[in-house]
Amino acid sequence: MWTQLGVLAALAGSMACMAQDNDITWLDYREGLRVAKATHKPIFLEFRCEA
Amino acid sequence: MLSPKDSLLGKQLSQYVCVRVVRLDDVNVGLFERDWNNAIYFFMLNADEQIYMRYGGRESASPDTYNNMESLEVALKQGLVLHDQYLKGEWKAPEPPKPLYPREMPLLVERTFARHACVECHLIGDFQNLQREQDGVLDKLTHLYRSPDIKTIGIWLDVPKGLVVKEAKGAVAAAGMKPGDRIASWDGTPVWTFGDVQYRFDKVDRRAKELHIGVERDGHATELSVALPPRWWWTDLTFRQSSVDPRTDFSDRPLTDEEKAKLGLKADGFASQVKYVAEFAKIRGAHELKVGDIIVAVDGVERDEFANTADLFIKLRKKAGDSAMLDVIRDGKRVQMKLNTHVLSFRK
Repeated sequence: MWTQLGVLAALAGSMACMAQDNDITWLDYREGLRVAKATHKPIFLEFRCEA
Repeated sequence: MLSPKDSLLGKQLSQYVCVRVVRLDDVNVGLFERDWNNAIYFFMLNADEQIYMRYGGRESASPDTYNNMESLEVALKQGLVLHDQYLKGEWKAPEPPKPLYPREMPLLVERTFARHACVECHLIGDFQNLQREQDGVLDKLTHLYRSPDIKTIGIWLDVPKGLVVKEAKGAVAAAGMKPGDRIASWDGTPVWTFGDVQYRFDKVDRRAKELHIGVERDGHATELSVALPPRWWWTDLTFRQSSVDPRTDFSDRPLTDEEKAKLGLKADGFASQVKYVAEFAKIRGAHELKVGDIIVAVDGVERDEFANTADLFIKLRKKAGDSAMLDVIRDGKRVQMKLNTHVLSFRK
């Protein structure tokens, strides 16, 4: 499972504020809070160790 | 492509704002408190930083047991239900935990921030325990043996279905849990995922004798009182590669009552038989134990409130780097030998 999720996540590549992952746009935490507030959407937050 | 827009997962994720955190420098780790030895972990929450649920968690044997796409879809679906309740003002937010930021952790500042190194998840847990040990407040039952294993109390989940029970054995079977039940609460707190269950199980007082698990069965809610077995909190620490536990370079198994009686040992003692000796034990000067040796006492002590083996006694009662004198039965003769534990050095 983590391999699959890792692939899902790894496709985003960098720590950029907005990263494109297939069809998913990943935001950093502060930007995510701002967008969630503006769009009234919930947040799906991933903590991921890249070491 | 694992999450195209037209897949179920893709459709679900499009209803969320997706956020990724890969270093914890400025994260409120108090809010997202968890077992930090999970390399990947998820939260569903709202813009007011109120957490709906967790997704992730592992057992000692494998990081993959409780996580798959199907159970993630179940969790994401439930997250949307809870968020809808929040938007309607019908969701009761949990009490927020005390904030904690990595820069408030002296050892992390000294050893990680000062070197401009990455504040990785596991470092939070590692340095919390080191600090607790330095401050004399490390409770090993709670802080070292994190994330108790639900299999210890007899729960095998039908993982793709979320918290639906596949098999109920031991303590939970005795309490009335049945295959097909859906676990709905843990000691009174609603749970939606394995991550929630593991987090709540970790919060149970290690000296507790009973646990209350709410289940849904055929549309009805039932609460089960589960009698916790001895050492329900115990887990294999091996995968925790930066733990503060004293490394002993051997593993053992408890002697049976019959074996103890045959050797004339105390029935309630922690006498154990060595079943594995690390390759480098002798080179490291750790000890000269051999497979088959029976450890009867450590520093003259033969029984303990919690330990059922010599290894567990040492892990609970000694600090990493401490030495101890072992009473050992080898080839029918009782001998003494010294054991030197060692500290597992941190990766970062």
